[in-house]
Amino acid sequence: MAHISLKNITKRYDKVAALDNVSLEVNDKEFLVLFGPAGAGKTTTLKMIAGLEFPDEGLIRIKDEIVNVVPPANRNVSMVFENYALYPHLSVYDNIASPMRSSLYKESEEYIKEAVHRVTKIMKIDQLLDRLPSQLSNGQRQRVALGRCLVRKPNVFLMDEPLAHLDAKLRHFMRAELKEMQASFNTTTIYVTHDYMEALSLGDRIAIINHGKIVQIGTGSELFYTPADEFVARLMGEPEINLIDGAVSEERGKWNLRLLGRKEPVTLPGDIAERLAEKNVSDVHVGVRGNDIEYSLEPKGDGWFKGSVYVLEPIGNRSILTVIVEGVKIRIIAPNDFKSEMDQDIYINFHIADAIFFEQATGKFIVRHKQEELLREESKCLN
Amino acid sequence: MNSIRIRHIAAVTRNFLLAAWALFALFPIFWMVLITFKSDIEVFSTTFIFSPTLANYHAVLFRTNYFKSFFDNIIVSTGAVLVSVAAGVPAAYALARYDFKKKEDLAFTILSFKFAPEILVILPLFMIYQKLGIFDTYFGLIWVYQLITMPLLVWVVRGYFEDISVEIEQAAKLDGYTWYEVFWRILLPLIKPGLVSSALLAFIFAWNNFTFPLLLTSFNVETVTVASLKYIASDTVHYGQMAVAASVAALPEVVLALIIQKHLVRGLSFGAVKG
Repeated sequence: MAHISLKNITKRYDKVAALDNVSLEVNDKEFLVLFGPAGAGKTTTLKMIAGLEFPDEGLIRIKDEIVNVVPPANRNVSMVFENYALYPHLSVYDNIASPMRSSLYKESEEYIKEAVHRVTKIMKIDQLLDRLPSQLSNGQRQRVALGRCLVRKPNVFLMDEPLAHLDAKLRHFMRAELKEMQASFNTTTIYVTHDYMEALSLGDRIAIINHGKIVQIGTGSELFYTPADEFVARLMGEPEINLIDGAVSEERGKWNLRLLGRKEPVTLPGDIAERLAEKNVSDVHVGVRGNDIEYSLEPKGDGWFKGSVYVLEPIGNRSILTVIVEGVKIRIIAPNDFKSEMDQDIYINFHIADAIFFEQATGKFIVRHKQEELLREESKCLN
Repeated sequence: MNSIRIRHIAAVTRNFLLAAWALFALFPIFWMVLITFKSDIEVFSTTFIFSPTLANYHAVLFRTNYFKSFFDNIIVSTGAVLVSVAAGVPAAYALARYDFKKKEDLAFTILSFKFAPEILVILPLFMIYQKLGIFDTYFGLIWVYQLITMPLLVWVVRGYFEDISVEIEQAAKLDGYTWYEVFWRILLPLIKPGLVSSALLAFIFAWNNFTFPLLLTSFNVETVTVASLKYIASDTVHYGQMAVAASVAALPEVVLALIIQKHLVRGLSFGAVKG
């Protein structure tokens, strides 16, 4: 049960900054997800908190106590490593019992027995207690590693991609289990992943990290509906968000948007126009997600774009339809019974009301239609 | 049917070749043991049929100070291996885990001690030992034996440490163990096969060494390898007695090797952490 705080943390490896002036507050009992591409600095951040790496600059606090020079053993943190880091010469039982046998966190053997059985039951590995790690599958090893982490009552759980090596079915199952466990353990958790579904599903808040910098911290819906920049927008959602070139101009008191170099403009809603005027931007990227695009195989009149079908990928419960319009590939979500031929003519229409506007030059977020209402409603739903 | 026959022939051939090799390898030892039971005259005139005698054993074991040499050898060889383990394991850990300047150069230098023939360095060593007053002492011999016991041990154990992922150590630290506990409880069991097999080899190297004890010791300390020379008299060579000295000297190695035979092959050919 602890509040974790990182302040202006910088870490360099041979002059390359792995973390660049990172500040992060994790509230007590919060489940924070660190989310970003490979090499972004997620694992380094975890190891800093664990005390396995030391920052070149900045302060780390656990429970308001500065722990920069506290050795890892004394920080009372529990960590799952991406490569499991199981002790190869110890059985599953002894691996999980290990944290309770150290001189620092010593417990009686009866207590250990009960704790190990409790955890292994949740993890569904209670039939494997006598096996060595080398006799387990990757999925089982990962669950043993999780078990060794969860058997303790630490200040904070640190989890480095604990589900990355599981097969899809087990991953989904364990994701739900973890969420359920988090609710019952009631302990601060920092969870690293590069899977946006895990991030959205598990995190109370999500911190997006890229090139050693925190890009945005917020709840899942904040990140999904109002991403701080195009990078965040691209990370969230499958298929990737469509970023379409647009030109904005004021004509006779109205703000018009011209997409993909088109002559006929779309009039923008008032709140968007206001923000754009404030910012004084004319070139924008309009972010439209795959489910915010209408499509039709028949011509539909004004405002619709004519394109051709590039490819149609059925992925089970839906299909991803890629359409080429004015030389740009647009990804659209279609129902799985949708049928079309390659290179067939198709007509599409963007829902500007659901679009996210980014500055073209910097890629920074500008505005989204009714963004405040949207987030308010989302948080109401959650509560 | 044909393929079964081929496999059959292959198995027979393989076993025949292995048996031939074993015979070839073991025959000198067998011959040596045979000689120990022959009198000096019969050594040259008989092969398998002779009148066996224990005179050689009696002469070597009871009428010379062979046992003293034997124990001297045990002291210096065991001592050398213990020092090598005590100093070599931390050295191997440092070479595997830490990054420092000229690391690879240092590792190579340690290995290169085994490259040069001992005879090359023996004269300066002799003079240094005389000056330091450690000529003809156990300490002096144990020290110089580090040249032959340490390099192999450091390199084998270093490989074992490198095979253990850093995260295993880190996990143990987070479990609440101090560095020493991590070492004894986690690292040591993992490097054990490599440590045991390289320590045994180091022991054999030290036990068999001839040049160093010949030139760096005299009456105080005498190893069996040097003691065997005594059976070369001015007029004749007592092959029978020499064979006894050599056979008894080989005993500890044979026994040790048999005890840890499994470790020996696996320890030198496999890494520590196999998934």
